[in-house]
Amino acid sequence: MTRLTSLLLPFVAALPLLSCGPDPYAGKIKIRYMAWGNPEQLALEQKLCDKFNEENPDVHVDFLKVPGSAYGNKSVVMLASDTAPDVLRVDHYNFANLQNKRFFLDLTPFADKDPTFNRKDFFPQTIDECTVNGRLYGLNVLFGGNVVYYNKTLMREAGLEDPYKLWQEHRWTYDAFVQYAQALTKKDASGRYVQFGTTMPPFPQWVPMVWGFGGRMIDDAHKHSLLDQPEAEAGLQFVADLRYKYMCAPTPAQAANSAFSFESGKMGMYFDWMGMTPRFRNVVKSFEWDVVPIPSGPKSHQTTVKGNQIVVPANCAHPEIAWRFMRFLTGPEVENLLYVKNRRCFPTRKAVAYSKEFSDGSLPPSQIHIFIDAVEDGRQLPIDDRWAEWTQAMNDQLDRLWNGTERDAKVAGKRAADAVNKVLSEEPGW
Amino acid sequence: MLSSLALSLYKYDLADAKYVGFENYRRLFVQDPLFWKALKNTFLYTFFTVPLGVLGSLLIALLLNQQVKGLRIFRTLFYLPSMVPAVASALLWQWVFNADNGILNQVLGWFGLPNIEWLQNEKFTLWAFVLMSLWGIGGQRMIIFLAGLQGIPESYYEAAKLDGAGTFKQFRHITLPSLSPVMFFNLVLGLVGAFQVFTSAYIMTSGGPNNASLFYSLYIFRNAFEYFKMGKASAMAWVLFVILLTFTLIQMALSKRWVHYEGEQR
Repeated sequence: MTRLTSLLLPFVAALPLLSCGPDPYAGKIKIRYMAWGNPEQLALEQKLCDKFNEENPDVHVDFLKVPGSAYGNKSVVMLASDTAPDVLRVDHYNFANLQNKRFFLDLTPFADKDPTFNRKDFFPQTIDECTVNGRLYGLNVLFGGNVVYYNKTLMREAGLEDPYKLWQEHRWTYDAFVQYAQALTKKDASGRYVQFGTTMPPFPQWVPMVWGFGGRMIDDAHKHSLLDQPEAEAGLQFVADLRYKYMCAPTPAQAANSAFSFESGKMGMYFDWMGMTPRFRNVVKSFEWDVVPIPSGPKSHQTTVKGNQIVVPANCAHPEIAWRFMRFLTGPEVENLLYVKNRRCFPTRKAVAYSKEFSDGSLPPSQIHIFIDAVEDGRQLPIDDRWAEWTQAMNDQLDRLWNGTERDAKVAGKRAADAVNKVLSEEPGW
Repeated sequence: MLSSLALSLYKYDLADAKYVGFENYRRLFVQDPLFWKALKNTFLYTFFTVPLGVLGSLLIALLLNQQVKGLRIFRTLFYLPSMVPAVASALLWQWVFNADNGILNQVLGWFGLPNIEWLQNEKFTLWAFVLMSLWGIGGQRMIIFLAGLQGIPESYYEAAKLDGAGTFKQFRHITLPSLSPVMFFNLVLGLVGAFQVFTSAYIMTSGGPNNASLFYSLYIFRNAFEYFKMGKASAMAWVLFVILLTFTLIQMALSKRWVHYEGEQR
């Protein structure tokens, strides 16, 4: 050992001790909360945790931030290995499957004995999403419906009436939508598309179109697919026709690498969740935009609503504290900050959604009540514990219809229905 | 590994575990067409990418073993692609394969060939991934070949030249035999790597269209983390292990015929 090494060794050995100061949270109950989001969203949630810690001196919430790409796997592994945080957010797509595995704590007793918690304060779908067999297994966050974002500037330039006016006059139908989309689609002198009227919505955002034509993906009992029924086929055909018949939506190749994103100003109308609003507010500077409801189909007008859930794992050591923190995250103050001030998504609380502050349209979108209408009209997706499996089988069979190598929705719908039926007929878990 | 072997004998969905013996394996082979589809895709991918990759990296190593000006710059340039993270290169290749304005179709256009929907048309998707695999030929395998080339004593070549051997004969009788252990190593590594292809397909196509790029590892992932069929996924992982072990043992058996180690008596 050199002299220098022998001199440095005690200091190196003492390094771990330097981090061992007095525990700043001694005497407090520590719980962990886990969620995903982009850096801005996570920073905001960190502020919420800090605020809760400030208001609750007996508790310290440690916020675990996990990248969205890894979140699903990490949360599943943590739940399965009994190492999950005390409160965690799960996407509703996975909620039924994870609940079915008995990973979540039944929160009904906490809800029943909490005098400040009233189910009627919330939009019914937000409670339904968290309820299984009448028992409450989570609270809803990041809720909202699907709407059409539209480029007002492009519409004005094309001499089109504002679609909101059409909506008010009950003329905002899929026929009108196609007329608008075609009018907003442009080519340059060489025949290359430089602007598209709309986009073909990805799954599950095309589902309301199928509903509009009276079709459905699956029956109420979740035993049979209904994609081979004429109404569903008509809806699927309409979705594909946006690309290959009406030529008003980019093909997958044309749309690749975000060539015609809504933000680029080269897209007239765009289907997405309400949660896109903060991004468009930040990014879109060169044109005016707003929102309008999804058009009415020949059979009905319906959009889809979905949220995410914050849940408590079944083995949580501090369920009362976890419930207290969940109530804070879904309380009026936080909902005002998240959904009124930042427009991150849509409030789960009726009082917040119907407040004067929420309807402030000084920043785009100005037609805020469209969001409320979307939720009031909104229909839930038929998400069950095998959703991932049967929708994968369905989408595999619809790929050809969406990429234009097959043009008949009857053939694709039948094949998709058969694939879904095969999955549903098999015993789960194999 | 042992726990995954045990899990493969259970029907396990993260909550309930029921012992089922070899039922997971039986169902894979008898009742799951996607298992065969994923296996076929992966075999085809491996069959084309491993020889292409090994020959390509050998060719580049030979080029970079010449005494030319700016050799270090060339070596760096060829190695750079392998430094790009898998996710970033997948996004980059998505742009290369763009049917509407991608580089590849522009090049085809110069020869009067029509646009190909590389990632949208199931006839071409697998070949797009084979093409994309060439991106990595200047990486680790090329470096190993280069190290092997530089380990061949110059005296061998001098002796061969004195005996009148030309460039090709020197390559055939000195370079190739001397490089055979390195080539064997690269073949084994290449086979294992090709069978585990995942990231590119996961990001670029999610296994589509219509499962045309559903590779074996992606199907394992789907069953484990999307459907929570951990027993089935474990069984699939062990099938993959057996396949790789079999191929490696075959390669080792065949290697006795063509791999020459220094100082070896035959």
